[in-house]
Amino acid sequence: MAPTIVQFAPLPSQTHPSFWHKLTELKLDVLKLSDAEVEINGTYGVGRLIKDREGGPGAYVGVTGSLSVEEESFGQAHANPAIGNAPAKGTVKNYNTIEEFKAADKTKLFNEAADKIWTSVQTTRSTSLLNSFLLITFADLKKYKYFYWFAFPAFVSTPAWHIDDTAGWIGVSSPNSGYTHDQLTSIYDQLSKSPKPLSYFLVRSLSSDSIQVVPVEEFNATTDTPTSTSIGFIDPSAQAQNPGWPLRNLLAYLRVLHPSLTSLKILCWRDAEVARSADDWKSRVGTLTLGDGTSPVEPMDTTTRPNAVGWEKNVQGKLGPRLADLAPMMDPVRLANQAV
Amino acid sequence: MHALQQQYWSIRDYLSPVLKESKFKEHGRITPEEFVAAGDFLVYKFPVWSWEKGDPSKARDFLPADKQYLVTRGVPCLRRASSLAYTDAEEDAERLLSFADAGASDGDEWVETHAGRKSNSDAANPGEIKDIPDDGPQDDLASGMGSLSVDGPVGEIPDMDDIPDMEEDDLEAGDEATAAPKTSNVIDASQVEVASGNLLQVRTYDVMITYDKYYQTPRSWLLGYDENRTPLTPAQIFQDVSADHAQKTVTIEPFPHSSSLQAASVHPCKHASVMKKVIERMNNSVIAEQLAQQQKTSSPKENKKKWPFSRKTSGGKEIAAGAGEDEEVEGMRVDFYLVVFLKFIASIVPTIEVDSTTAF
Repeated sequence: MAPTIVQFAPLPSQTHPSFWHKLTELKLDVLKLSDAEVEINGTYGVGRLIKDREGGPGAYVGVTGSLSVEEESFGQAHANPAIGNAPAKGTVKNYNTIEEFKAADKTKLFNEAADKIWTSVQTTRSTSLLNSFLLITFADLKKYKYFYWFAFPAFVSTPAWHIDDTAGWIGVSSPNSGYTHDQLTSIYDQLSKSPKPLSYFLVRSLSSDSIQVVPVEEFNATTDTPTSTSIGFIDPSAQAQNPGWPLRNLLAYLRVLHPSLTSLKILCWRDAEVARSADDWKSRVGTLTLGDGTSPVEPMDTTTRPNAVGWEKNVQGKLGPRLADLAPMMDPVRLANQAV
Repeated sequence: MHALQQQYWSIRDYLSPVLKESKFKEHGRITPEEFVAAGDFLVYKFPVWSWEKGDPSKARDFLPADKQYLVTRGVPCLRRASSLAYTDAEEDAERLLSFADAGASDGDEWVETHAGRKSNSDAANPGEIKDIPDDGPQDDLASGMGSLSVDGPVGEIPDMDDIPDMEEDDLEAGDEATAAPKTSNVIDASQVEVASGNLLQVRTYDVMITYDKYYQTPRSWLLGYDENRTPLTPAQIFQDVSADHAQKTVTIEPFPHSSSLQAASVHPCKHASVMKKVIERMNNSVIAEQLAQQQKTSSPKENKKKWPFSRKTSGGKEIAAGAGEDEEVEGMRVDFYLVVFLKFIASIVPTIEVDSTTAF
């Protein structure tokens, strides 16, 4: 019965080459020397488990869903992303010189982004900005090199959320998850038929065979108890014991609006298609509690913004910018060399 | 020279007429309408595929504006194609594939090679990837890969280490609720539930299927990302193409629905004849199946959900081929064209799981 701290799997970023093409175009034709922030739209998908055909029977490979931005990110948000995909709003700030990029006050930028999420929760009680992100870039157009750094601000919960490590996270296909195959199919149907994409949702068990999926904004702390309601979210993590990053802000959101909350049942939705058999669902559930149970939990101070973390680590695992080198795919000289 | 060739292709493409007549069984080519129908079927059956608009200025007028090409993102690629190099000594790894359901097969099997065989290199180890030697002519490309790392660039490229380290700010150092990055690999079946939660780093691909007006077939495009989700270089992409096709039928071309994007493409000049052969074979077994069903039962509805061909591998890959289960015998429907096409593409890029649409 020892509670352990819930660790969230960071959301990796993925920039489609067309994103850089579009940014180049924008830089040359529209932004020019301006380094104002530009609104963009990204999406992230559910984490997936892939069967490894060569790895022997039953070997699985986890592929984490990533926040991806592409050419269309600069336009309107994808009106109806496929099920298992969640839209995320963000801003991109492109610097003119590498020196400016280096000297940028990243703490300030990050705090501004976090403040924006915080105020949107406080004022609108909407979840639409919870998964917003920040991207700073420097484009070396002549060399087809793009330096970039993503940040996914997430609020730190004090005390931290814990999960009982004997119960832990369990697959929804297992018998004690509380969900049946039909109920899960029903959740899937309701998610895919929802007129607007539900990145965060409530799954209410109305009766033994009826399930209702509603936006998380309708959460009611007195009726939505862990026994009757699960808090669901599109989970980009593929790790069994780590829910994805977007859950952090969802938990913060629920605590701010319902300061007395201490326990929540979480449904990590990881199914992009209906499972072919009852034991093939990939989603996971777990019940989280605030604190480790040794000391009583203070009600949350909802007036000051909690600390936030979320700069993406680079390839070396350090906090630092990444580099996309598109020269091999864009430089006409290099392309001519490999052409037949 | 390459640019000239591309100009020539685009003119030829412009001049060639749009195929109007449905002839997919005779010569393996399809009309744009059939491409849309087959694409709709693929999207319906496998939601990982979706239609895209592409760049409006590049839209082809013979296709619906919102159905210009098909795309699936993040297709995993677990190991390099070179690790699948096939030798005579491994003939016992072959197994017969039946496209008809068990029982109905009468000598119409296919041979599947590489079945259940351990790959030569332990591709599960991410460190392995860099060790695959590039051939001489690709050296300059390969060296470009070296400069992918942030702090190892040469020459005037600024040293990114100078960027103020966020860790100094103590902003995130103490966050106990951030999961540490996991680098370990393949998850055992036994562990999926017990779950030490291994996160695997694999290459992923975005696969696009466009309609090629000149060859009147679908054409596939690949955009690769490495384990850190940075775009792959052409040399790296060719590692995932079977040796018979790399640099011959697979080349880097400008993607037709984008103004500037370059992607690896399987050249479609032989698609029609290959597709024709596959379709002929499948059609025969599908017709036989349908005849058998008609005789067997007066209520064919019960068998509607049957997959007429399945691939019996350890991975449980199944191709949805619920071909024309209509009342009368009509053989394979054109809706299936793209499902079959994916199988064909999978043979060219054996390690990219384009075809595993039902496997996850």
